[in-house]
This record gives sequence, structure tokens and C-alpha cells, in this order.
Amino acid sequence: MMDIEQSLTMRRCVHELVAEQATRTPDAVAVSYRGRTMTYRELDSASDELAGRIRDAGVRGGAVVAVVLHRSPELIVTLTAVLKAGGAYLYLDPADLAEQRARIVRDSGARFAVVTGGGTWEQAPEVPVVLRYEDARAGRTEPVLAPEVGPDTPAYVCYTSGSTGEPKGVVVPHRAIHRLIDDPSWISVRDEDVFLQLTRVGFDVSTFEIWMPLVKGNRLALAPPGFADLAEIGELIRAEKVSVLWLTTGLFHKMATHQLDSLAGVRHLLAGGDVLSPAHVQRVLSRYPRLIFTNGYGPTENTTFTTCWTPVGGAGDLPRVPIGTPIDGTTVAVLDDAMRPVPPGEVGELWVGGDGVATGYLNKPGATAESFVADLDPARPGGRMYRTGDLVRWIDDGTLDFLGRVDRQVKIRGYRVEPSTVEMELLRQPGVEQAAALAHTDGAGDSRLVAYVAVGQMPKAHWNAFSTALREQLRETLPAHLVPWAIIVLPDIPLNGNGKVNRSVLPRAKVPRNVSNDYVGPTDPTERRLAEIWSDALMVEPVGIHDNFFDLDGHSLLAAELLVALQEEFDVELPARTLFLRPTIADLAEELRRQIGDQPTEPLEAAADARAR
Amino acid sequence: MNLFDNPDGKFSVLVNEEEQFSLWPATLSVPAGWTVVHGEDSRQACVDYIERHWTDLRPRSARHDPATTSASR
Repeated sequence: MMDIEQSLTMRRCVHELVAEQATRTPDAVAVSYRGRTMTYRELDSASDELAGRIRDAGVRGGAVVAVVLHRSPELIVTLTAVLKAGGAYLYLDPADLAEQRARIVRDSGARFAVVTGGGTWEQAPEVPVVLRYEDARAGRTEPVLAPEVGPDTPAYVCYTSGSTGEPKGVVVPHRAIHRLIDDPSWISVRDEDVFLQLTRVGFDVSTFEIWMPLVKGNRLALAPPGFADLAEIGELIRAEKVSVLWLTTGLFHKMATHQLDSLAGVRHLLAGGDVLSPAHVQRVLSRYPRLIFTNGYGPTENTTFTTCWTPVGGAGDLPRVPIGTPIDGTTVAVLDDAMRPVPPGEVGELWVGGDGVATGYLNKPGATAESFVADLDPARPGGRMYRTGDLVRWIDDGTLDFLGRVDRQVKIRGYRVEPSTVEMELLRQPGVEQAAALAHTDGAGDSRLVAYVAVGQMPKAHWNAFSTALREQLRETLPAHLVPWAIIVLPDIPLNGNGKVNRSVLPRAKVPRNVSNDYVGPTDPTERRLAEIWSDALMVEPVGIHDNFFDLDGHSLLAAELLVALQEEFDVELPARTLFLRPTIADLAEELRRQIGDQPTEPLEAAADARAR
Repeated sequence: MNLFDNPDGKFSVLVNEEEQFSLWPATLSVPAGWTVVHGEDSRQACVDYIERHWTDLRPRSARHDPATTSASR
């Protein structure tokens, strides 16, 4: 997939392109925000002024400059100014806790910051040199000279949490941004297009949102800071006449469900960041057949987009939304564990190369050299490739099919399961607005798949029946190991600041019983205690005394654990087959009473009560 | 398990002309444009070597002004 011509493209610095655009269209509106506008000339001169001060403070050659401003025209001026001064911007959200910002400052070793308003230390804790945006108006407007800055100079640092481990600051050079925004074949930008800056600037899609319009003379509309609700976003899209829009997966699913009308003026809609639901893509395309839809895929480490998929004839009934083909200046390789290319159709890990590959992880040479390694492609001697950790395969039409994260896969009853497969199936079902699937670990250390579905306005009285019906539906379409052990109904599933489903805040609590017999509660202390022990072992609540252990998804390993607990608690001998013969609490309680025999229930109760505390 | 993940595997450290480092499984041939500067050695020893020797993450061509702080160590 090597494209020699692209690799030889002369790469440029982003701020130079913005300045050149300002010369071409000085009076065009560059930024609009809450009824205010800023022209290209104003953006250029304001950023020159600020860049002078940043440069005077000592910034050179990609030094990290923390930028702590709410989304505003001033923020766009500051980002441009940092680049002009030869710095690399590191966005810190003023809405985050000071301690969160301090942690990132410490990790990054940033020595410079630009803030706005008072309380400078609070905003950029532990940064030695803090400049206030307001103070920057020194009246100097000649462009700053930063001769040491070139395509390989760092332009920004973007912290990613990744799926495991500590947050890492990905250092991205000008070269990588230029490869994204210079003459792309995966998007055709028109002069009258309006872009929306909606994602957090700390999320790397903002690279596309901000710099693509500003190097092409388009208007960049800014969403108000913070997380707006769906109706506000819809209203903003209409009011600003946004025509090119990125929506992160979770938000895309919600907008496609609740705010489809607001997308009427959107010409090119891009979505991604997590696994997209084909049903939602189809819903948008059915309503707006002329809309161009793109699934944009890529890790931060390869600068915003690595591959794009833009369907010609709709998403049809594809089981998954493909991630498409590599964008300009990008190479991909699908490799097995021995680093050999896998044949088309077979699953391998995706490794990516080309001009989008980041410089590395800030202050982490070891971690950088583990994930950014020598490119195997002989067409790119001395080049590096990045290991994505994503599983993909080539499909017949020459596009890539995304199958999940290597590290999100879970083993369910010996099968390797990718939770997103279940999420996609759930999202297909009428009434399901959002879905998330997770593996939970039970008392015996076994993993089970638990799914969460958001149902919006559905009355609470219908939730149980809905959940049961969903499970029945999935049984018909999915292999048994992919059918969630429980489906938990919620009015809404929260999104994180980046617009992705926030899996970490989903309740990890016990799930409701999912058996068909009526619930009968415990009638005496023995049964009550047994119900508690079962509930803990099975992670189900409540457990009825006639519920069958195996219907509650109990299995032999768990049975063994449970027997040990019962023997300790009640001081009785219980053969291994007890649970198989007496799989309900009522039966088991009877057996316990029989064994304890003439002993009255008194000491048992006392013991049980003591343990229950 | 991927070759890069094997904690008991043998590894080398590679460097390219831009003075960028790469961990490399010793069983794989060295790609064009890269030179072995350390190894064979254990995975951890190679990572430690990289931690000690890769002091400026920027490619060599971006290090015009060595006197100033940068997006490097």
C-alpha cells in the first residue's frame, strides 16, 4: 500500500499555511462564536502579537506550551500563536480540576503556559512561566521568526488515556498535521463550507476540526465550552449553517436518534472514535441520501485519521461499518504475531506508517521505542510504524474491517469475545438508543458478559419485559456465548468529554435476576443467609428461594466455591453433588436443617447473623 | 503472543539516521535504514538501554536549537 509520491510530498508547517491563507482571504471570516466573528486578518495579527511574547519568553524548537483557555476565538488565536512561536501546544481544560492539570503538567515538564483572566497559578499549576492572554497586547504585529522550526518540529502534545495504564502525551509534528490537511483525497472541501469545533481540544480530532478549515479559508464555528445537550448541538449546527461535521461515535448515535432534523444542512458528516453502528449510519443515509458519510478511524499516535470509509451506496446490511482504506501519506500493514503479513480475510493486528506517525510519547523513550518501531516496508528505509493494538482484516472490496481492540477482547466460557459485536447487535434492536457491553468477573473469577442499554423515555414499568425480550431476540441471532448474561436497562448511558460511551461509570453492581419463575423471598434466617451467599457468588440480586442455581448461570466451578462457603458458615459436610440435587435455596435450606438435625435453629441463626454483619 | 510482547524473548535496539530508537525482536531481520546499537539482550535490558540513551525524542533534523528545552526529556 506504499505510496512513494505521497511520502515525497514537501511537508510544511501549519502556521505558515494559516498565514498564507490570511494573505489570500484577509476579510473572510475565520472564526465565529456566539454571534462574534474574527476575520483571517484579525486571527493572523492577533496571533503574531501573542507569538512575539511567547517567543520572548524563551520558547524554541517545539517546547511544550500549556494552553489553558475555554473554547473561544482567543483559544484559536493562542493555538496559532504557539505554533508561530515555535512551540508545541498542550491543551489543558480550565474546567478540569487543578490537580488533574497539575498531574499532566508534571508529566509533560511544560515550562510555559498561556492562560486567561486571573488566578494564573490555579490555572496552570507548577508551570514556571505563565503568560496571560490579556497581557499579550503589546502592539507588535510583525511576524515572528522561528528559523529552527520545520516539518519535524513538535506542533502539539495530546494526552491519551489508552485502554490500560498511565496517560501518555503523544507528541505530533507539523509533518503529521500537514499530511492530514494538505490536499486530502478523502474529503473535498468547498469554499463555502463551515466546520464546527465541537470536540475537546485535548482530543485529537480537534486537529482536523481546527486546522482543516483554517488552511483552506473556511469558517470555523466554535461550540460553547463544556458539554452541550443534544438539542443545543442540533440548534448550533443549524444556526451556524455547519456543512462539515465530526461527531464522535457515542454522540453520533444519539444525534442520529434524536436530532436527525438538525443534520439537514450537513454536506459531509464524519464519525468514529469507537465502533459505529451500521443501523445508525443507515438511518442518517436513508434520510439524507445525498449526504457524504465517512467513518474516520485512527489512533492519536497516527494523527487523527489513519483510514477512512466513505460508502457509495449506503451502509446496507453490513454487520459492521468498515474503516476503509489508508488516507494520503499513510501506509498500513496487517500482521500476525510473528510480524508476517496475513492473507486477505484473516484477522491480524494493524500497524500503521507514513507521515502521520507521531514523534513519540513525551518523556517516555522506552514506551516510544516499544510502540513506534522500525517499519518493515523496504520502500520506506529508516521509517517507523506504530502498533495500533487493533484487530482488523482485509475484506473483499479492498477495505479494512475493524474487529476490536486486542486488549478489549474477553474470554467467555473459553471463547474469545469482542464486546462490540454484542453492542452492534443491541443497537440494531428497536428501542435501544445506546449500548455498551462489558465483561464482569463473578465470585469464582469467571468472566460474564453484561450489557447495558439506554432506552430514553421508555416507562420504567416496561424495562424488565424489554430486557427479557431483548435477550430472547439475541438468542436467535447470536451464538450462545455472545448472548449477555444480563441486560441492564438504563434511561441513558453517559458519554465522556470526548463523546464516547463512558464504560467506566456503568454500574458494576449486581444484576437483577433473569429467570422466568416468580420471585419468592426467604422465609427464615437460614434461607435469608443462603440468599445472601448466592447473591454474592452469582452477582445477582435478589435471589428467590425457588430460583434454580444453574438457571441463574451458576456453573460447577461456582458450585464448588459456594459449597466451601456453606461448609464453613454452617459447619456441615456437603458432598459435591448437593447443589446438583438441590439447586434451589428452599431445597438446600431443607438439607441444611436436616443435617443439623436436632440442633435447633438458634445457634445457626446466631452464627449467620454474626457473619452477616 | 506477539514477538514484541515476549518477556523472555531476545531483543535488540535499533537506531535510524534520525537517531530514533526501536525495540526489535532479535529473531527478525533488521529493516533497511536501521542499525543495531545494542543486543541481543533481554527485553527489559533493551528498554533500559533506550531510556538511558534516547535523550531527545525529536528526530535529528528537528534539533536545530539544542540549547533550549523542547518536547524531549
